[in-house]
Amino acid sequence: MKTIFHHPPEPEGGKKYWRSLDELAGTPEFRTLLEREFPQGAAEFNDDGLSRRNFLKLMGASTALAGLGLSGCHRPEMHLVPFTKSAEWAIPGKPLFYATSMPGRRGALPLIVTTHDGRPTKVDGNPMHPVTQGASDVFAQASILNLYDPDRSRAFLNSGQVSDSDHFSASLDKIAANLAANGGAGLAFLVEHDNSPTRERLRGEVLKKFPNAAWCVYDPLVNDELARVLEAGGARNAPRIEKADVILALDCDFLGCDEGDVETSRAFAVRRSPEQKTVNRLYVVENRYTLTGGVADHRLRCPASQIGAFALALAREIGRLTGNGGLDPFGGAREPSVNTNFVAGWVEKTAQDLVAHKGRGLVMAGSRQPAAVHLLVQSINAALGNEAVAAMPVATKPGITIGELARNITDKKVNTLFILGGNPVYNAPADLEWAALQKSLPVVIRVGMYEDETSAGCNWHVPAAHYLEAWHDGLASDGSYLSGQPMILPLFGGWSDSDILARLAGLPKPAGPELIQETFRARARATGGDFAAAWNKFLHDGFLENSAPAPKPAAGVADGGAYIRDNANLPTLSGEDAFEVVFISSASVDDGRYANNSWLQELPDPVTKLTWDNAALISPATARKLGIESKSFGQKDFPVVEVSVGNSKIEIAALIAPGHADHSISIPLGYGRKVTGWVGAGAGVDAYPLRTSATPYFAVGAKVRVTGGSYPLALTQDHHTMEGRALVREGTISHYREKPDFAKTMWMDAENAVRNPSLYSHPPMNGLNQWGMVIDLNKCTGCNACVVACQAENNIPIVGKEQVINGREMHWIRNDRYFASWDSLDDDPEMVMEPMLCQHCENAPCETVCPVNATVHSDEGLNVMAYNRCIGTRYCSNNCPFKVRRFNFFDYQQRPVAAQDVPFFGKVSGLKLGPLTEKGSPDTLKMQKNPNVTVRMRGIMEKCTFCVQRIEEAKIAQRVKARDSDKVRVPADVFQVACQQACPAEAIVFGDILPDSGSKVSRLRQDPRGYTLLDYLNVNSRITYLAKIRNPNMEMPGADKVATFDAAQEEKPKG
Amino acid sequence: MANFFPRWSNFLPIKLFICACVLGGVLTGLVWYYFTPKYTRVGYRPIQPVPFPHSLHVTQLGMDCRYCHSFVEVAAHSNVPNTQTCMNCHSQVQKDNPKLLPVRQSWTSGQPVEWVQIHKTPDYAYFNHSVHVNRGISCYSCHGQINHMDVVGEKQPLSMSWCLSCHREPEAHLRPEAQVFNLDWTPPAGQNQKDIGLALKKQWNVNPPENCAGCHR
Repeated sequence: MKTIFHHPPEPEGGKKYWRSLDELAGTPEFRTLLEREFPQGAAEFNDDGLSRRNFLKLMGASTALAGLGLSGCHRPEMHLVPFTKSAEWAIPGKPLFYATSMPGRRGALPLIVTTHDGRPTKVDGNPMHPVTQGASDVFAQASILNLYDPDRSRAFLNSGQVSDSDHFSASLDKIAANLAANGGAGLAFLVEHDNSPTRERLRGEVLKKFPNAAWCVYDPLVNDELARVLEAGGARNAPRIEKADVILALDCDFLGCDEGDVETSRAFAVRRSPEQKTVNRLYVVENRYTLTGGVADHRLRCPASQIGAFALALAREIGRLTGNGGLDPFGGAREPSVNTNFVAGWVEKTAQDLVAHKGRGLVMAGSRQPAAVHLLVQSINAALGNEAVAAMPVATKPGITIGELARNITDKKVNTLFILGGNPVYNAPADLEWAALQKSLPVVIRVGMYEDETSAGCNWHVPAAHYLEAWHDGLASDGSYLSGQPMILPLFGGWSDSDILARLAGLPKPAGPELIQETFRARARATGGDFAAAWNKFLHDGFLENSAPAPKPAAGVADGGAYIRDNANLPTLSGEDAFEVVFISSASVDDGRYANNSWLQELPDPVTKLTWDNAALISPATARKLGIESKSFGQKDFPVVEVSVGNSKIEIAALIAPGHADHSISIPLGYGRKVTGWVGAGAGVDAYPLRTSATPYFAVGAKVRVTGGSYPLALTQDHHTMEGRALVREGTISHYREKPDFAKTMWMDAENAVRNPSLYSHPPMNGLNQWGMVIDLNKCTGCNACVVACQAENNIPIVGKEQVINGREMHWIRNDRYFASWDSLDDDPEMVMEPMLCQHCENAPCETVCPVNATVHSDEGLNVMAYNRCIGTRYCSNNCPFKVRRFNFFDYQQRPVAAQDVPFFGKVSGLKLGPLTEKGSPDTLKMQKNPNVTVRMRGIMEKCTFCVQRIEEAKIAQRVKARDSDKVRVPADVFQVACQQACPAEAIVFGDILPDSGSKVSRLRQDPRGYTLLDYLNVNSRITYLAKIRNPNMEMPGADKVATFDAAQEEKPKG
Repeated sequence: MANFFPRWSNFLPIKLFICACVLGGVLTGLVWYYFTPKYTRVGYRPIQPVPFPHSLHVTQLGMDCRYCHSFVEVAAHSNVPNTQTCMNCHSQVQKDNPKLLPVRQSWTSGQPVEWVQIHKTPDYAYFNHSVHVNRGISCYSCHGQINHMDVVGEKQPLSMSWCLSCHREPEAHLRPEAQVFNLDWTPPAGQNQKDIGLALKKQWNVNPPENCAGCHR
C-alpha cells in the first residue's frame, strides 16, 4: 500500500515567514507554482514562436546537416605545446596568486587574483590585509568578467574612424603643445572618483604644466555637497562601527553595496555574535528595505525626504534629555515639518537608548542625505561624546563639481576636455544637458572601457585598460597604501588614466611600474631600507605595512548650526498624492558601469530579487492607492507607471516592495543604457532623466500615473520555494540567554517530533575528513558576494531574462529573502536572509531516485554529481526538499543567450536555435573559466559541490606532502570554499566536522543556536544553520513582535 | 476452420530472425569497438615532429625522467620539456643533426614545437601526476617501459575501469619511493609485488578515492 507522508502541521496563528505577496496571500498562481518542480514553462517547450512542430522541423534539418559532415568519428590529433623558454614561476597547470587592488568609491579593495597560465580567473580579497582579511564584495568578484567582456572597446577611434595608439600619442602631444602656450587655459579634465596617490601626484604634475586647467571629479553616487561642507578641513568623520553598542542609521545602508564596504560589514558582524556580553543594537530609519534594514533590531519606514525631520526631532529630544539646548540649531523655533507623524514613541525611545549608552552610541547618516542632516548627526554624536567616530584624512583634494564645469563650458571657458572614465552623457544631472554641452566643445578626448553614450561624437575615443591590466595604486578604506599590479597585458591595447596624464605632463608613456614606484618611493621613505626589497614586499603583500593613518578623535564642526539654519531643506510630503522619488544605487549595475556584466545583471537584487531590470519600488499601501495591488500578483507581468518630476517623466514597471515607505518611490539608477553591449541592451529603464543637480538623490513633488501597460519582470523570489517549512529561525537575545538551543526545537522539530527512519542503507562515511558547513544567519546580511564568488569559481553560466522568468537560473547558492509578519496587512514586516545551497544530506533524497547513479555519496560525506553519468531525468531535482539542483535546459555555455534574428521566426533566443546558431563562447570569456571545474553541457543536472575541486586539491597537496608517511589527513582549515572566502561577515564556515579535527566548523557545530533544516525528514544535512538573534529594545513600539514566533514560544522558556 | 493466423504472419519468423541478426551484429560491432583497445587506442604511436628516442636518452645515457618532465612531482600535469631543455644539451651535442631541425628552428623563432599528445584522459577526468608519483606509483604503471621505447606509444587503456582497478587494489602497483622513477624495477628476489604493496599501503595509509569526486569535478 502506498503511504502518503504527512508533514507535521504548521502551527496555527503566530508569525508567518514568506517570500512574496503571492505566497502570503496563498494565491492559486502561487499554489500551482509550489506544486511544480519548476515554474510553468520551465520544463516545457511551448513559448514564443518555436512550437513543438517547428522545433521538430529545425531538429530534422540539423540532424540531416550533421549527417552530411560525419567528421566526428575519429579522435582528433591533439598537440602538447610547451614554452620555448621557461617563464619564471610558471608551472603548467598550477595557478599563481598575485596581490593587487580594485579602485572603489569608498577606497580601494585589497585583492588576491588567481591566474592560470597567465590568465586571471578569479578575484578574491587579500587575507593579509588587516581590515578586509580576505573578504571581497559582489563587484570585486564580478569585475573579472568585465575584463573579458567581448563587448569592450577594442579600437582607438578618431572622430569615429578606427585609428591606433601611435596616432593618438602624436595627436596628444600636439594638443599638449598647443595648450602649453597659454598655461592650459581652456583645458579641463572630467575624472571618476579614485583615491590613487599616483593619479593625485600626476594631477599635480599636469596642473603644474597647465596651471589654468580645471579638474572636475564626478560620480553620480557621490554627494559633492558632503565633501564640500564636511571635508573642508581635510578630514572626514568615519564611523568606527566595531566600537558602538547602539547604532542609529539614518538612510545609511552601511551593510549593503550602497554605502557599505567590506570593512563596515566586518566591523558590524564582530559585535553581533550573541555569545559576547554586549551585543550591538541597530536602529534603522529608511524609505525602502535595504540589507541594513533587514539586519536592524528596530526599523522605521520613513520617506528619504523626511529623514532630516527625523534627525531634527531626534536632536531636539536628545537635547531635552541631556539638557543641551545647543543641539537644536533652530532653538525650537522651527517645527521639523508638517507631517512628522513618525510611529509614536520611536523618536523618544531611540533618543533615550542613545542617551543611556552615552559615548558608546553611534548615529550615522547616509550619503544621500544633505550636509545639513550630516551636521545634525555630527552634533548629536559630539553631544553624546560617542567615541565610535574618528577623523580620517581626506586623500584627494576636491576638484570643481560637474555643475561648475558645465557653467565653464557654457561660458566658453573650456575648449579641450579630457573625460577619463565615467559616462557623463548617460549619468550627468539631467538639467545640465551634458550631451549638447559636450558637442559644443572643439576637442573632447575620452578614455572608456566601452564605446558608449559618451564616446559618440568625441574627437578621440581611447579604450581604457581594466584595473587588472594596468599598474595602479590606491588607498584602502582605512587609508593604508595598496599596490595594484597588472595580471595580464591590456587585451585590447587600452590606456589607463595614468598613461594619459603622464603623457600630458611630458613624461613618456610608462612601460612598467615607474609611476607607481615613484609614488611608493616617497611614501615608503619613512620606513627606510633597501628600495628593491621594500618594493617587492609591497607588491607581494599588496599593501604597505603600517601605512594606515592613525584615526584621530572626530573633529566638531564649528559653524554647523549656521549651515543647518541656512541650508536645512525640510520638504513636506503632505497630501494624498505627494510623492518623492528616491534614486538608489543598483546592487547589480552600480551607477550603470556594470550594465554589460551578465553575472551582475542576472544576480537577483538582494531585497527585491529582481534580475535583468530595475523597477519603481512602491509600498503595498501606495499600490492599493494606485489600484495596482492585484495586478502585481502573478508571475511575470507587472503594471507600468509613469513617474514624473517637473517636466521629465519615465515609464517604468512598478514593483510592490514590502516594508517600503508610503509616499515614496525608489528607482535604482544605472539601467536603460542606450549604447552598450548585448547584456545591458534593453535591461531596465533609465532614471537619470529625472535626476537634476538640485535633486541628485531624492526629489519631492513627483507624480505617479498608472499607464495601463504591463512589462515582464524576471523575479526569482518565488522560484525554488519550500512551502515555508520553518527553514529560517530567529529569536531575541533574552530568549537566547534563557534557552540558547531554542532553535533546535522550533516548529516542526518540536521535542516530541518523530523522525522518519531511512529505508535505504548507505555506504559508510568513513573518509579521513568529513566535510560540512555552518552558516550563521546572525552574521549574514544577504549581500550576495557568495553567489557571484560561486559563479566565478564554478563556471556557472547565465541564462538570460527570458529563462529566469521560466525559473531556470543556475546559481548554485541563492539567498532566500524572507519577510516575517503577524498578519498579511502588516506594512512593517521583518526581513531575514538565508543562504541556501546543497545541504549534502547524509540521507540524500536525490540519490535514491537517480536511475543511473549519477549522484551518489562520497565517503567524506559529499553528495557528488558525476556529470557524465547524468541523463537528465530531473528526478533528483524533483525529490530535493531544498530545491537546490539546477538543470541545464539549454547549452548555456556554448550558445548565445542573446536573441537572434531568424527569417520567418523573428527574434529567437540563440539558446533555442541550438545547432542552427554558432557554437562556442567568445574566446575572451573562455579565458575566465576555471580550468579545474568541468563546463557542463545541455541536459545535465548540477548543484553545489562544496567546491570539490578545492577539496581534492587540498587532499592531493597533503598526500604529496606526506610522501612515504601516513599523514594524509587534511589538516584543519587549510583551505576555504569560494562562498566562505568571499563572505565579508564570515557567516559561512566550511571544513572538517569531525570533533577531533580541531577545525572552526567542528567547534561551531556545537553552538547551541545550531539547527539543521527539515530535521524531521531525517535527511541529516551537513549544513548547520545558526539561528538569528535580534537585540530589541523592549521599550520600543512594536518590540514585542521583533524576532518572536508566537506568544506560547515566548512564554515557554520563562515558565 | 478458418486460418487461425493471418497470412502475413508466415513471414514473421524470418523478419524476427533478420532483426535479431542485425541487432546482434550491431551489438557485436559496438562491443568489438568500444570494449577493446581499439577504442582506448592502446598501441597509438603517432609520428612526432622530432623522433625523440626515450631508449637512447634514458637507458643508454642514464637521464632521469624528471630532467625533462620537471614538474611531475609538484603539478597535475607532467610537462613536456620546453625547447630550452632540449637546447641545454643540443646546443653542443648533435647540433647539426637534421632530425633536430624543428628544435633549432623553435629556438631561433620562438615558436614552440608541437608534440603530438598520446596519453589523454578526458577533459572531465582530473588526473594528477604529483599525487601518484609521490605515493609510490611508478611512471611504469601507466606508461609502461618508456625507457625502452624508441617511439612512444600508449601501453594502457587509461579507461575508467582501468583506473579503478588500481584504485581498488593499489597494492598491485605500489613500490618504494626510491624506485618510482626506476622503470626497470622488479620486486627483489624472494618478495612479491603483492606483499610489498600491502605493507606499503598499510604503512603509508594509502586509500585511493573510489568515489566520483576523486577524479570528476
